[in-house]
Amino acid sequence: MVARFFAVVCLVSGLLRAQNEAPVVDYDRQVHPIFAAKCFSCHSAEKRSGGLSLYSYEDVLNGGRSGGTVRPGKSAESLLMLRVTGENQPRMPLVGPPLTDAEIALVRSWIEQGARRTPTSARAKGKWEPPLTLEKPAVPAVVWTDWSSPLDRFTAVYLKANGAGEPQLVSDRVFARRVYLDVWGLLPPPNELRAFLKDHSPRKREKLVAKVLANPENYAENWISFWNDLLRNDEGVNYHNETASRKSISTWLLTALQNNLPYDQFVYKLLNPNAPTDPAGFLIGVNWRGVVSASQTPAMQAAQNTAQIFLGINLKCNSCHDSFISRWKLKDAYSLAGYFSTEEKLQLYRCDVAQDQYASPAFLYPVLNRTPASGSTADRRSAAAAIFTDPRNGRLARTLVNRVWQRLLGRGLVENPDEMDGEPWSPELLDWLSSDFAECGYDMKHLIATILLSRTYQMPSVPAQAEAPKKYVFKGPEVRRLTAEEFADAIGSVTGEWHVYQEPEPEPDPKKPAPVDAPFVPPKPGVYTREWRVASTSLTRALGRPIRDQVYSVRDSQPTTLQALELENGEPLTHWLNRGARKMLGELPPEPTPIFDRPLPKKGTAPFEIDISHAQKLWLLVADTGSYSPEKVEAIWGGAELAGGDKVTPLSSLKPLDDSGLRAASNPIDLPGANGTGVRVKTPSRLVYDIGGQGFTKLRGLVGIENKDVTSDINPTLRFFVFDTEPNMERLTPVLPDLPLAEEKFNKSPEHLVDALFWYTLERAPTVEEKRSAAEVLRDAHRKKRTSADGLADLLWAIMMKPEFQLIY
Amino acid sequence: MNREEKLIAKRLSRRGFMGTTAGAALAALTASEPQLLRGSTSPKPTADSIIVIWMAGGMAQTETWDPKRYTAFEPGVRTDQVLSTFPSIDTAVDNIKISQGLERVAKVMDRATLIRTFQAADLGFILHSRHQYHWHTGYIPPQPMAVPHLGAVVAKILGPRNPTVPPFVAVGQNLEIGAESAALKSFHTAGFLGTEYGPFLISDPADATAAVRPPAELGDARFHSRRKLYETLLKDEPVYQYGNDFQRQSLIRSMDAADRLLTSPSAKAFDLSLEPKKSFDIYNNGRFGQACLLARRLVEAGARYIEVTTEYIPFRYWDSHESGHERAEMMKRQIDAPVAQLILDLEERGLLNRTLVVLASEFGRDAITEGKVGKEVKDQSKTPDVMTLPKHYGMHRHFTAAGSVVMFGGGMKKGFVYGKTADERPCTTIENPVPVENLHATLYRALGIPPDYAFVYEKRPIYVTKDAKGRAIDDVLA
Repeated sequence: MVARFFAVVCLVSGLLRAQNEAPVVDYDRQVHPIFAAKCFSCHSAEKRSGGLSLYSYEDVLNGGRSGGTVRPGKSAESLLMLRVTGENQPRMPLVGPPLTDAEIALVRSWIEQGARRTPTSARAKGKWEPPLTLEKPAVPAVVWTDWSSPLDRFTAVYLKANGAGEPQLVSDRVFARRVYLDVWGLLPPPNELRAFLKDHSPRKREKLVAKVLANPENYAENWISFWNDLLRNDEGVNYHNETASRKSISTWLLTALQNNLPYDQFVYKLLNPNAPTDPAGFLIGVNWRGVVSASQTPAMQAAQNTAQIFLGINLKCNSCHDSFISRWKLKDAYSLAGYFSTEEKLQLYRCDVAQDQYASPAFLYPVLNRTPASGSTADRRSAAAAIFTDPRNGRLARTLVNRVWQRLLGRGLVENPDEMDGEPWSPELLDWLSSDFAECGYDMKHLIATILLSRTYQMPSVPAQAEAPKKYVFKGPEVRRLTAEEFADAIGSVTGEWHVYQEPEPEPDPKKPAPVDAPFVPPKPGVYTREWRVASTSLTRALGRPIRDQVYSVRDSQPTTLQALELENGEPLTHWLNRGARKMLGELPPEPTPIFDRPLPKKGTAPFEIDISHAQKLWLLVADTGSYSPEKVEAIWGGAELAGGDKVTPLSSLKPLDDSGLRAASNPIDLPGANGTGVRVKTPSRLVYDIGGQGFTKLRGLVGIENKDVTSDINPTLRFFVFDTEPNMERLTPVLPDLPLAEEKFNKSPEHLVDALFWYTLERAPTVEEKRSAAEVLRDAHRKKRTSADGLADLLWAIMMKPEFQLIY
Repeated sequence: MNREEKLIAKRLSRRGFMGTTAGAALAALTASEPQLLRGSTSPKPTADSIIVIWMAGGMAQTETWDPKRYTAFEPGVRTDQVLSTFPSIDTAVDNIKISQGLERVAKVMDRATLIRTFQAADLGFILHSRHQYHWHTGYIPPQPMAVPHLGAVVAKILGPRNPTVPPFVAVGQNLEIGAESAALKSFHTAGFLGTEYGPFLISDPADATAAVRPPAELGDARFHSRRKLYETLLKDEPVYQYGNDFQRQSLIRSMDAADRLLTSPSAKAFDLSLEPKKSFDIYNNGRFGQACLLARRLVEAGARYIEVTTEYIPFRYWDSHESGHERAEMMKRQIDAPVAQLILDLEERGLLNRTLVVLASEFGRDAITEGKVGKEVKDQSKTPDVMTLPKHYGMHRHFTAAGSVVMFGGGMKKGFVYGKTADERPCTTIENPVPVENLHATLYRALGIPPDYAFVYEKRPIYVTKDAKGRAIDDVLA
């Protein structure tokens, strides 16, 4: 106490002296020797206890795991002072004599004077310390007349301070391309683009943004991929965990996006799902069969993921041990996991070795901590949800705002969206946007609109550099690349040939088997869909769609050789474009519907009686839909017979036109209900019969699988079809006709098509040279006025390989 | 160092992480791209390429490389009496016997190092793909980051031998196999190393040419004409304010690299029809055989890491949950001639010394024990105590206490056995167990990579062997 009084007196007199004589403390001659003598045994450049070196001036200012050591001008708040005075225990140095009063006073003066590098240097800028709560900064004065929105005023001040003049804005067509892709993930439909370009009203860009945001389906089906990547959501992907198998949250997520659910409620539901329609899958996590590391139990995954996704904090390191690179400790990860676990108290494991230490639920920031009302799972989760969405938790808003900014401008205000302790290039802008976001009810679309309508967003884009500069200066949005889904959906939009989504049949509940005579429910027809909904393919994986076992904040958009091989030579893309071109020209083969369609899992039979009065030919197909060993499946058209008038002819007595699908077997047919007859077939198989002019009216029998001992070895899963017109082997099952986007009607002549394609894919007219080269490829070799489907597919491919197409300028 | 760091340092190789200057480590940690920490000095490589012959599904070791007492099938024989369902045969090495059905490989065992004591990790209730993930990455899933496949690691560290041949090629595994597809995909990846180092996948070697030829529905003519159109359109492009930026250049370069690969003479390596008929016929006993031929051709053309597999499909191929004897016979027939010929061909071409060939599986099999003795896990087979039907005859349970690894070339000893397993049930490892990290350390050693070589990702080092604990088995190195 006395010592401190004297220290204060010394400080005061020191300051007085400073006012009169200004003897500025010299870091090199006066401060460094103190550190060298008293601190280097632990805080040398090599040893770095607590991650801190006090060796060089830069090291001192950089601080260690606990953050910055000095706050220039604020010695009372500087960690260095708090430690050497003992106000923060343990007092430093840990070993050896403490700093004398004079030494403490000296260091204090140095900090108060701005922790300068040399006596003539400017005041230092302290290490960036990320704030927790939100404080809406005052909006700066207007610097450039047109940059008057709050967002733009911050940017304008920044740009001016960095020596930039008032930027031009991008053209309407560049703006439109960006906006449609950023909100809908789709290229601007040509008629909408044309209308926008022709519009001369002063507020047309505002109207465009409002229009695209007002379409809930297109918006939701774009942003769902962003959220699927973050929330590790995917369909039909599981690792066979017996108790906690992965659970999809797609239905809830899509609805939440369609309804523009406020972000705080969105997070609340993910952390505290209690209704049956709530997204339970997020907390269930990704679980493999067997025994897992203690750091990867569902509760620990939840701790890591909630911290990363919603707060921009990396708790992965300290899920196994205290972190080496941040201040987070093992106990912090377990304490957070405590809100999401099935147990009230979690035993700590350090590197998978059990510790005699337990953690109760506690939050990373004590000021926001809440103790759950009880030890129940529900109460603990709701405490977590309340903590994350606490209005005082500014990190919630900042992290989301930064992610959206990164998505729309290519680089976040904070460079790494998963490390929100990083320094934003404009802390004031980030905090203003985040405060505004929170004030407006955490409305995601309001945030997006605010950004899209800013002049900042509408600046010309800046290409990336091969080498990132040492210190980043914002000069405009970055050039970005189409995501895998945007690339795929472009094909669907332009050609009308979308992928088909087949909703999987619900898994039968082994505890409640369906009654034997339950009526057959035909499987749902397929639907044309945007790419996000179908499983990943080699094409979309090559273009960056991730395997959703990890949290993905940013996708890798670097071009690679393997990716280029898939684009240049891959079968999926070639086939899709071939089909797409034919779809555009109305030349796709017809897709007749079957007159009989029956999936048949495992054992069992299903009777059929089909009207074939108008059929000249019959196609009997067996498709394999998931058997482990299709070659072992003994499929049969049991007791199959054709009836007409009074005659009944067994199918087995007819010779098929193509008999390659027949299966020879020596044992008698022993299928219940088949009367010992039938036509045995392979899996898969296709039999074609000519029945014209024989007066048959009915085909009846029993489809089935003969294998009596159905072991898990085979897992027979088949689908039987009968067609009376040539089936399209690519489209056996029906698809509802609705398309995700209204079909474009193209004039199919080569010249018109070139124009239409360039306008749709590149948002501009072709040049004279481009038109000539392109039209030449389109012209059918034999009929010059007609377009060749192959030529059209190839032109589409060539355009889509252009950087101009794949990059978003 | 604080207590925490001391604890960790004890567990990690000090050199690999703590030993590099703190400055360098810190610099690496703060970079945003995976950086490399070189660790201890790189050993001199004894191999330039590696072929992994992956016997997916749990290859029964007592039916292949570690034969025990033979018991013939007769109804009523007790399951716990059956150790091997084949008699053993002599090999070119006096003290090494292997299982009947591998006669051709027996003749080249004098070029082999045989490890009989590979031990899979204890991961609880066994899922094949989980152990496969562990074997192929050195890490046990789930992990908080996407870990790279062994092939990707090798491709990244050593780079391609020939820039027009993909450095990492994987043959024979279809990734869409139903239930365990997702698990397979999760380790067939370059993970955080980036897709440049991912696997070039060929699921059917007969179709390998297709991987480097235009798709059938495109054809050669259109392949070339549409590529030409693309180049023409690039040339005709109006000049933009963006000029010739780095991203545009990267995209164009990647397309050029792909094109070079597809049109280079090296692409002929993928065309098995170019192999002289006499040679082709020896390999041509099935998909796996053809894959071995492809592997040889790719090594000749300059691939770095090639994996050929008999393929994992639950309950198929090596994964015999019943009829193990019949299945093992079929599998040995599939592998015997091609593997033997691969070794002979490599040797004839003077490539064997610098090509490491590794034949391995995720674990072994036993008729009784699921897991390890003392650490048994949930049973997944219905083999009864007494065999009455032929389908009961075989090794149907997943045995993690012992497994066989056969290595040829690349600096390994010749005609050498490492490790001993018990001659009576349980045929567990009794001498020189080899866990995954030590096997990997041995492979890396041959390729000139130290076991504590690390990538830095998300500010932490990720070692090529977990926690840098892998130790190469000196005894098997020549």
